Amino acid sequence: MATSQKPKSILKKASYPATTTSKEDRDRDLALYHADLIQQRKDIELEILLATETLIDYPLATAPYDASNPAPADAQTFKYLLRPFQPSDYDALILERNINERCGYTLCANAPRKESGGGRWRMVGKYGKGKDFKVVDKKELEKWCSEACAMRALYVRVQLSETAAWERGERGENTVKIDLRDEPKSDGDTVVEGLEKLQLAGDDSVKKQDTAHLALERGDRGPAARIGSVDVKILEKEIQRVPEAPSLEDEDLTERLDTIHLGILEHVGRESRGQKFTSMGSEKKMAIKRHPQRRISDTLVGYDLTLI
Amino acid sequence: MSNEEDREVKQREAGNRETARLWRAWRTVHELVQDRGYILSEAEVKISLEDFIHKFNSGDGNIEKNRMTFTAHPSDEMVARYSNPVTDRDPKPAAPDVGPIKVKFEEGDSIGIKNMRKFAQELTQESFHTGIMITSVNITPAALKIIPAVASETRIETFLEADLLVNITHHELVPKHVLLSKEEKSALLQRYRLKETQLPRIQVGDPVARYLGLRRGQVVKIIRKSETAGRYASYRYTV
Repeated sequence: MATSQKPKSILKKASYPATTTSKEDRDRDLALYHADLIQQRKDIELEILLATETLIDYPLATAPYDASNPAPADAQTFKYLLRPFQPSDYDALILERNINERCGYTLCANAPRKESGGGRWRMVGKYGKGKDFKVVDKKELEKWCSEACAMRALYVRVQLSETAAWERGERGENTVKIDLRDEPKSDGDTVVEGLEKLQLAGDDSVKKQDTAHLALERGDRGPAARIGSVDVKILEKEIQRVPEAPSLEDEDLTERLDTIHLGILEHVGRESRGQKFTSMGSEKKMAIKRHPQRRISDTLVGYDLTLI
Repeated sequence: MSNEEDREVKQREAGNRETARLWRAWRTVHELVQDRGYILSEAEVKISLEDFIHKFNSGDGNIEKNRMTFTAHPSDEMVARYSNPVTDRDPKPAAPDVGPIKVKFEEGDSIGIKNMRKFAQELTQESFHTGIMITSVNITPAALKIIPAVASETRIETFLEADLLVNITHHELVPKHVLLSKEEKSALLQRYRLKETQLPRIQVGDPVARYLGLRRGQVVKIIRKSETAGRYASYRYTV
């Protein structure tokens, strides 16, 4: 009984477009994508290392500048180089500076304090209030040249982002903006900074912010969404016929409503379903009439809305 | 005994202990270099404590660490073991990735980026292929990051003095590890019809792997004593 004609399939035809790329291509893309991420991370780590090396020898400027009044150029570079740092990287920088006999605060040229005498612990705040009294490790004290420098250094540290730089993304809102406890005291610099803060092209940043919020709401975070490995296209569904309000006079509708509860109106109470809409009919009519301006394209959905 | 004399004796003993430690580390690192296949004379490797003190004494009973630097060149056998085999696809393979080695005992209470950078520059300038830095204290994490950053120019390995006081490969429970050449490796994989990833593995950071300076992708043959079979060989792929 072999017929030349193929039997017609009763299955639905796949309406989604078939994937055009082969498995190898997709695997390759995925591997490249991850390799790219790792490379990005390595680049940033190297950048941090080089920045650390540079900052060991800071400050470059000598007197009259000091830690309380750093040279604008030094402060600028310091802030710039510090952007990819995490607090742990900053700690490493402090350690390296101490090894090279420098105060832990990058913009201070002094040598760190040397605690004389043996013993591991030191008492701090002996002459102030009781709550200031502390017993601290000698090593902690030998990191800085003075109390003020310790404050300045830690003031910077708390502003660093805990997130690793390669996870921050390229969006502007994540760039760390660092303030110094003692900013350079020169007029020119202040003016420049003030100009920077002025939002002349405000629209652009607002737009960026909006896009970021939208991305967050959609749930696409991280670089995956950025390079578009998730390709989402939203298309408007076209409706040809003119939308019309539902009406209960329609015989057809009441008939359908008798059975529709099996499908979508599960949350409606059992007893109201049993009443076959006799008593509720007028109520619903009112509910619908109350919103004549609502353009409901799908009568059933519209009904459901007003019922609630 | 007066207090002063007591202190002197203690100081001398501490100095002696420090000297003995350095001597042991010195011997172990020589054995390490020799085991890897570099050329060193027996007299250099098996130096006695007296000779060692005589050679590196600074005059006041201490040892001068900065004079303890030494270099070695790879033997022909070692070059052969690291060479790339000639194949149809690759008729002119790259030169073997080995070269002279420099071993340095680094002084200082803390080893930072600067020390490491200086050592790397030294190695590159004097065109040493490999450098071993031996320190008495831990190296800072930031300084260790220099090693991969300069990996394209020179290969730096670091050891702690404390880790070199005894030669771990001489311990009874450590079996013999033999590095296979690339030819031997491909013969092994063909013999057992394996992919290299199907072999058991050994980490690069494994103490014995560090001792032999194993690199990712190399295969070691491990020869154990077996009560039933006499000798038992297994192979491990370095990851």
